[in-house]
Amino acid sequence: MSVVAHLPRRALTLAEEESASPPAMELTGRRKIADGDRALAATIFDEFHADPRYREFVLGCLNCGECTTGCPAARFYDFSPREMLQIAANGDATTLWDALQEKIWACCQCYTCNMRCRFGNDIAGIISVMRELSVIHGLESTRRTLAPFGRSLTLLMTVGTQVSSDMIQPDFFRDWGPFATGSDKVWQVSPEVMRKAIPVDVLQTTRSAWEVSVQTSLELFRIYEETGVLDMLRGLDPDLTEMLVDIVEERREEFAEARERFAADLAGQRGTVATFTG
Amino acid sequence: MRTLLSAGEIRKVVEERTLHQKGTGKRVVDVREEMERLEERGEILIHRIRPENRPVTATTLFGWTKRIPTDRLWHHKSCGQCGNIPGYPSSLLWLMNETGRTYLNEPHQTSCTAWNYHGTATSNPVALAAVAARNFHRAYETDHFPLIHCGTSYGDYKEMRKLLVENGAVREKVRSILRKMGRDLVLPEEIVHYSEWVHAMTPELIARQKHDVRGIVATVHEPCHYYKMVPEDAVYDERVYSGQRPAVPSGILMALGATVADYSTWYDCCGFGFRHILSEREFSRSFANLRKIRPMVEEAHADVAITSDTGCVTTLDKSQWIGKAHGLSYMLPVLADVQFAALALGAHPYKIVQVHWHSAPTEDLLTKMGIDWRTAKAEFQEYLRALKNGARPELLHPAHGEIEQFFAINKGQVLPDEARSAPSDPSIAGEEGGRD
Ligand code: SF4
Ligand code: SF4
Repeated sequence: MSVVAHLPRRALTLAEEESASPPAMELTGRRKIADGDRALAATIFDEFHADPRYREFVLGCLNCGECTTGCPAARFYDFSPREMLQIAANGDATTLWDALQEKIWACCQCYTCNMRCRFGNDIAGIISVMRELSVIHGLESTRRTLAPFGRSLTLLMTVGTQVSSDMIQPDFFRDWGPFATGSDKVWQVSPEVMRKAIPVDVLQTTRSAWEVSVQTSLELFRIYEETGVLDMLRGLDPDLTEMLVDIVEERREEFAEARERFAADLAGQRGTVATFTG
Repeated sequence: MRTLLSAGEIRKVVEERTLHQKGTGKRVVDVREEMERLEERGEILIHRIRPENRPVTATTLFGWTKRIPTDRLWHHKSCGQCGNIPGYPSSLLWLMNETGRTYLNEPHQTSCTAWNYHGTATSNPVALAAVAARNFHRAYETDHFPLIHCGTSYGDYKEMRKLLVENGAVREKVRSILRKMGRDLVLPEEIVHYSEWVHAMTPELIARQKHDVRGIVATVHEPCHYYKMVPEDAVYDERVYSGQRPAVPSGILMALGATVADYSTWYDCCGFGFRHILSEREFSRSFANLRKIRPMVEEAHADVAITSDTGCVTTLDKSQWIGKAHGLSYMLPVLADVQFAALALGAHPYKIVQVHWHSAPTEDLLTKMGIDWRTAKAEFQEYLRALKNGARPELLHPAHGEIEQFFAINKGQVLPDEARSAPSDPSIAGEEGGRD
């Protein structure tokens, strides 16, 4: 009998799930969930299905496995986009909860599955929806997974770039070899001089991918405040978030001071530069 | 070059796919048509490609016509390339200087922030759409057309443009955010990847070729987000793999005379994975070495791997050194198409193409291209010494003044109200290459 036959036609309630006897063959295996997590799992399950993108991204599934055949993550992890789509389409609160703990983070977001799926499912997209929920609810497993991203999140939130040349520290990126960083050992100059040797002024910095003007970075922070991204981050890492707010406050003061300093030059300006105050 | 299906047969497959998606309610629409309707209703402004942008037409996967602006461009840099492969943007700017194209390369740009979204999900589509729209508006107010350097930014901006066109609530929310910073909702007529500019400029570029690259075998890694994210809009050309694969970046390599060799895993991603390249590098390097570099070398005997996205260059290049631990000592040079083209046109390998930022050594490739890298390296070392002693850096475009560290100053801004009331330019409607 096909595995599809074992999948419930609709999501089981938690009570039904408890009392159901295990089917002869389960697509996703028997999952465990701690008692303390059940309410949260149910909330996430409801929010997942209520997300407007759900109806747009999950269109049906033949279980053909075309998506998994081309999936890079499936080659190296216990992960498959077919399973993710099946969990999205037919899973219950427990299977979704289980996927959020680890599996969703295996995906490379390459969109190969989307391109191959005859149903036109947006599998990469529905995995992103799952990830967003795990961030919004600050799952412990998500905090652990994202712990190494403090520096890139700081750059992202304060200047809107994600990598800088001073992040590529030889100690941390030893596997990239001795030439990966325009290394001072090879060229006998400091990283700052190495950046000065790039013939583009805005790239001559080690602290960001490129120099971003204060106005631009403050506009970006306004976007994060207005779209709930800052709150998302607060749920995940409150200390980092407070530090970011402090950095941005300082930049706002710096911006106000610059407006006084450059008052004469700004007098004839129109558009955003004339109106944006931080 | 081996082909399996004719261009006509490919077109049929695409049509069937479109029909199938129609059947499942996921119809593929040309958002550009809907943009026109939204502009008529006063909901958005379209940043149009004008004659000053000197557009060239190309064809997309779905047979749609796409206009590629070649002049008066606003460089949308990529957060990854600028941090650790700076020769990618500098080669592109150098090619623009060589061909007399004008541009702005400003500090008034953020990245698309999609690396973060696809890596950590600490964002959401409304934020991504607002970031896109902020950058779009800045390009618009400077009256320069956005040119996107990164495959992911290109894919993300096409997704965001679609979202903003199709979802009124998101549009309203983004508009209200933009208003708070004095901006308006502007969507570019086309989302253009820099490799499409290279495609459009190919005749002008090869006319300036200095080095014979006919002896070079190149394998192409096609960046996933160029053609898998919003496939209908990627550029295809029947002269490149009979239209079965994207025309970029293979087309420029073929035009320069290099051999573009096939390999079995061309369709695979590079292993970047967004999160993985920083915190799960054992995955990235395994995938890059085993699924990409090994077949490129063993099946195709490549001299160089060429791609057109930041993350792909990084992953394929930086992952190789550690391969030695498993007996994989390939060290295949990895370059962006613009770096290879700039070298072929005579750019300085260190000062402009910045090959010293790459992990896999490029000297053998340079020799094979007929480039005297020893002299160039000595010049660069001399230049570094001069910089160390306080010399002024050589620049591809004038430096920005101190005021621009703070303010996105006026560069002949087009203010939204003026644009709304401006009469439409009749030369645009009658211009060759309008979409069908
Ligand atoms: S987007 Fe994710 S699930 Fe889909 S093929 Fe790529 S890695 Fe696999
Ligand atoms: S390719 Fe589509 S239909 Fe086939 S298993 Fe994957 S999600 Fe299901």
